[in-house]
Amino acid sequence: MADPAIVVADLTYTYGALRAVDGVSFTVGRGEIVGLLGPNGAGKTTTVKMLTGQLRPASGRASVLGFDTVRETEQIHRRIGVSFESTNLYEQMSAQENLELFARLFDVRGFDARALLARVGLAGRERERAANYSKGMKQRLMVARSLVNTPQMLFLDEPTAGLDPTSAASIRDLIRAERERGATVFLTTHDMAEADELCDRVAFMNQGRIAALDTPLALKRQHGRRALKARVAVGERLEEREIALDEAGTAEAVRALFADEQVVTVHSEEASLAEVFISVTGRRLEQ
Amino acid sequence: MNLRVIGTLAAKDARLYFRNRFFALVTAMGLVFYVAVFWVMPSVVEETLIIGLSGPDAAVAELVGQGSDGLRFEAASSPQALRAGVEDGAFLAGVLLHDTPGAPVAAVFAASTPEESRQAVSTLLTTLLGALSGTPPAVVLAAEVLGPDLAGRQVPPRDRLRPMLALLIVMVETMGLATLISQEREAGTLRALLVTPVRRRELFTAKALAGTALALGQAALFMALVGGLASQPLPVLVALALGALMVTGIAFVLATLGRDMLSVMAWSVVVLVVLTIPAYGVLFPGSVSGWVQLVPSYYLVSAVDLASNFGLGFGALWDELAVLAAVDVAALALGMLALQRRAL
Repeated sequence: MADPAIVVADLTYTYGALRAVDGVSFTVGRGEIVGLLGPNGAGKTTTVKMLTGQLRPASGRASVLGFDTVRETEQIHRRIGVSFESTNLYEQMSAQENLELFARLFDVRGFDARALLARVGLAGRERERAANYSKGMKQRLMVARSLVNTPQMLFLDEPTAGLDPTSAASIRDLIRAERERGATVFLTTHDMAEADELCDRVAFMNQGRIAALDTPLALKRQHGRRALKARVAVGERLEEREIALDEAGTAEAVRALFADEQVVTVHSEEASLAEVFISVTGRRLEQ
Repeated sequence: MNLRVIGTLAAKDARLYFRNRFFALVTAMGLVFYVAVFWVMPSVVEETLIIGLSGPDAAVAELVGQGSDGLRFEAASSPQALRAGVEDGAFLAGVLLHDTPGAPVAAVFAASTPEESRQAVSTLLTTLLGALSGTPPAVVLAAEVLGPDLAGRQVPPRDRLRPMLALLIVMVETMGLATLISQEREAGTLRALLVTPVRRRELFTAKALAGTALALGQAALFMALVGGLASQPLPVLVALALGALMVTGIAFVLATLGRDMLSVMAWSVVVLVVLTIPAYGVLFPGSVSGWVQLVPSYYLVSAVDLASNFGLGFGALWDELAVLAAVDVAALALGMLALQRRAL
C-alpha cells in the first residue's frame, strides 16, 4: 500500500499479566472499510483504544494517517471520528447541542447540526434531549457526532449493535457514503453478516492476535467449503445430493448428477464468515 | 492551551450543572435560604449589664445615677418585681437596699447565672456601695486597651454567621462539581472528549474554571446581598476566589474517591462537615481548639471574617491569603493527579 491509513507493527498491550493485544501487525489502506471481528475479550476495543491514542501500547508501534499514535495524538484526533460501543452522550443536552459542542471543540466553521442530524434520520428531533432518545436514536446520534469534523478516518465500535433493521441499514448506508467521500473506516463488530456486506477486508481477532486478514470472499474461499446441493426424485421420494465444489472431480460429478438423476431443485452453498471464523479460530464469536 | 476549547468546555460544564435539577434547586434555594437566615438573625449585640434595684427611693435614685455605657441600674417597683425580673433574665442581678444604715444588702441572682458572673457583680456592688457610703476603693485601676478599641463595635450574631454561610455556599459547589465529574466519568463522555482536539490539561482547566466561577459567583452574590462587601470588598472577593479554587481542587479529589455518583456525594458530605468546623470558631469564639488551623477552610473563614466584620485590608490578611493560595496549589495539583489516574 502506497499511503496506508493505518500501519500497526507488533502492537502489544497488557492488563497486568494478561496480554490483551499480543504482537498485532496489519495495514489499512486509505478509503478502505476494514472490519475487526472477534468475540468479547479478543482485544478489539483495546486495539482501537491504542489506535485512537486512548491507551499507550506496552510495545510495538502504530500510526494513523501517517501520525504516531503515542507522540502525535493531537494531529490524529483532529482528523478522526470515533463512535463508541456504549452510549456516551451528554444526555441532558439536546441532540443539536451535543453536535454543536463537538463542532466547537473541532473548530468547525459554519457547522450545520440540523443537516447532519437529517443524514442520520433524526430530522425534527434536534431539540430533544438525548436522554429522551431511544437506543437506536442515540446510536445514530453517536455516529453523527463522529462525523462533525468530516473525518478522514472513522473508528466505529459496534455501530449497529442492538439496532432495529431499519436503523442498522441507515447506519450502513452512512458508512458507505463516508467511504464514497474518501474516508477510511475501521469497524469493530460481532455481526458477521454486516462485516461481509460492508467491509472490503476483515480481520479475525482472537485472544489478542490477528488470526486472519483478507477480503470476505478470499477468506471464505480459503477457509470455507462450497458445495452444490440438489434434490432428486427417487420414485415417489425426494433425496438430497451434495457435491463438493473446488475439487478435482467436481465437474464430472455435476455432469453425472444431471445425466443420471432426475434433478428437482439445485442450489450452491457458500461458507459464511461465521463458519470461517470457527474454522480459523476454533471458537464461536459469542464465546 | 487553547482558550476557545477551555471556554467551550467551561460553558458546557456550567450548563450541565444547572440542568441537573438537584443542584440547580440546591443552588437557588440555598442562596435564598442563607440570605433569609442572615436577615432574621439579630443585628445588634446587647452588651449592657442591667442590675435591678429595690428599696428606698433615695438610695435607688442615687445608684441609678451611677450607671454608665456598659452598666445600667434600673428600679423595680417592688422586691417581688425585682425577683421576677432576675428570674426571667431582665436583670443580670438584683439588689435589695434597706433604710437602716449598716444593714446587709442582699444580691439576688438567677439559678443559671454563672459563678464567675456572680463574683464579678458582687465585687462591683461592694466597691460601688462602699464608695457611695464614704469608703473609697483601696486601689484605683487605669485601663489600657491594646490595639483599636472595639468597645461598642462588637460583631452582631448575623455578621458572625456571614463567613460560615459563605463557606457553605462555596462548599455546596464542591459537591456539585465532584458529582458532575463523576457523572461524566460514569457516562463515558470524558472518553469522548479525549478523542477530539481537547487536551487533558484543557479539560482540567475548564473544570477548574467552571467550578471556581460557580462557587465564587454565588458566594459573591450572597456577600453582596448581606452587606459583606461593604467595608473591604476586594479582600473579601480575593479570599472567596481563593476559597473557590481550593474547593475545586477538593472536588477533583472527591470525584475520584467514589465509584458512582452516590458514593461521591457521601464522601462530599463527610468533607463538608470537616471543612465547616472552623466556621464555628467565628460563630462562637473560643468554642474550637487551635487544631482547626490545620483545616484549610479556617483561612477562608478567618479572612472573610476579618475583612467583612472588622474592615481589615490586604496588609493584615496577607498570611491568611498566602496560606489559602498555597492550599489552592496543593489541592488543584492533587486533584488533577487524582483525576488523571482515576477518572480518565
